[in-house]
Amino acid sequence: MGMQGDFYQLLKEQGYTLGSSGQAGTGHALTNATTILAFKYRDGVLVAGDRRATAGNMVMYDRTDKVLEIDRHSVMAIAGVPATAYEMVRILEHSFKYYRRTQLQELSFDGKLRAVSKLLKENVPAALAGTGAVVPVFAGYDMDQGSAKIYFYDILGAEFEGVEYAVSGSGSPTIRGILHYLNTWGEQPLNALPQEQAMVQALRLLASAAEFDSATGGVNREASLYPVIKLITGAGVQTVLDATLKPLYESQVVRYV
Amino acid sequence: MYEEPYRWVEAVGNRRQYLDDQFKQGSPVVALTYEGGILLTTVSKGTPKLYEIYDRLALGGMGHPTDLEKLRFSLLEMAHVEGFNRSPADVTGSRLVKYGIAPVIKQAFEEVYKAPFIVRILVAELGLKPEKDALLTINYDGTFEETTGCAVLAAAPAIQTKMLAYLKEQQPVTLSLEQALNLALRGWAIGSMAQQQAEADQETEAKSAATGVGSSAPAIPSNDTLIAHVRGLAGERTIECAVLERQAPGTSKYRSLKQAELSQLLPKVLQSVVAD
Repeated sequence: MGMQGDFYQLLKEQGYTLGSSGQAGTGHALTNATTILAFKYRDGVLVAGDRRATAGNMVMYDRTDKVLEIDRHSVMAIAGVPATAYEMVRILEHSFKYYRRTQLQELSFDGKLRAVSKLLKENVPAALAGTGAVVPVFAGYDMDQGSAKIYFYDILGAEFEGVEYAVSGSGSPTIRGILHYLNTWGEQPLNALPQEQAMVQALRLLASAAEFDSATGGVNREASLYPVIKLITGAGVQTVLDATLKPLYESQVVRYV
Repeated sequence: MYEEPYRWVEAVGNRRQYLDDQFKQGSPVVALTYEGGILLTTVSKGTPKLYEIYDRLALGGMGHPTDLEKLRFSLLEMAHVEGFNRSPADVTGSRLVKYGIAPVIKQAFEEVYKAPFIVRILVAELGLKPEKDALLTINYDGTFEETTGCAVLAAAPAIQTKMLAYLKEQQPVTLSLEQALNLALRGWAIGSMAQQQAEADQETEAKSAATGVGSSAPAIPSNDTLIAHVRGLAGERTIECAVLERQAPGTSKYRSLKQAELSQLLPKVLQSVVAD
């Protein structure tokens, strides 16, 4: 019955299953080679991610978009197995739309968080088997409360609020420390940064992550490859153009001092 | 008793009569293509009659709210499952209508033991290019029609023809949203007035039958008369407008026009009605 507006339930009734249910406990070490980050700045929340996809120690692709717009006011940044992550994003995208169209109202921000959590929970067997682990960061603008919010998850679906910032992926330990330092002893707390400075910080953080983590892609100026940065404010999600990032990177990230 | 073929034909005939009766009080729906996409308009009483179905699909309906809701859900379900399993580009109004709900409506109409759907439905589809825009209408018996430019739902086929004739005659090659809204409301008024006329005719039929004087078809009313008609009803009803906008940001192109925007676009005499 689609009457309650639950798209995922509808898919399941049609015989759909998310991922393969592998055998728990037989998996190898979970890999989530990536760096994604989100922090609150003056106008809302900034979400950024590098663009490298790896398989073991091989670079598969350098143009991956790991920061995905789910609707006008929310994005999911993904770390982990891309196949499962993209599938989850597709389900979420359709779920939120389906809810809005059937119920004639927007799904609440809490409702969206639950939806992410539910998908991760369904994916536990595949995650434990090592074939489908996804560790996302979900960020958005809560229109009811008029504030930006950041959440991060573990592979089992537990949700945690990142009050100031959240990170995920193999390159994240490096920048988590920097974020803590900046936010506590920086010139100003992160949530006071104006838009442009927030973008510069995001570029510097990802450059640092790439410096210490082989699975995080840095900037490739020759190929015009810059990280993906999205800004979420009350007006909606906005993707920062490479043309904006290029001068910022050249003037304030490369050999800045 | 319906096993015999002629009984069945008789039963279906009765159904038509019953269903035609059900739409007498309904509000017409008008869909027009304009320079930026497709506009849907109606003047509804109570429950809304215009809905978003998918990224590029909108629905307008007439009839029983419960039946409309049921079919709206089927459309939503089909569109979303298809869009998820294939791609949003594969969700087309034509397929949803021809293989989705039209057969369901037809079957319900012909199964004379069960209740039929009391609905007339209009599906508007915004194409990637203007020439791919499509408008589909489905009648309560499952017959559907695919058109471009303009389409309407009305209480009776004769009224529908009248509205379409008016719209086609008045519709220039390109319309701004404001012009389209104005024309759509006039088209709606044509339909609404024809409905009132039909009812009045029926009442006087008994009298006129004796004298043999039928009501002659009146000339097409002026623009002011038509807008005044809408204004006259606007107190108890709501002017409902939705657009499928080609240039809208993001994947979802449907937008329902809010009061503030609507009052900017409406003809002057109607602006005050909406502002209240």
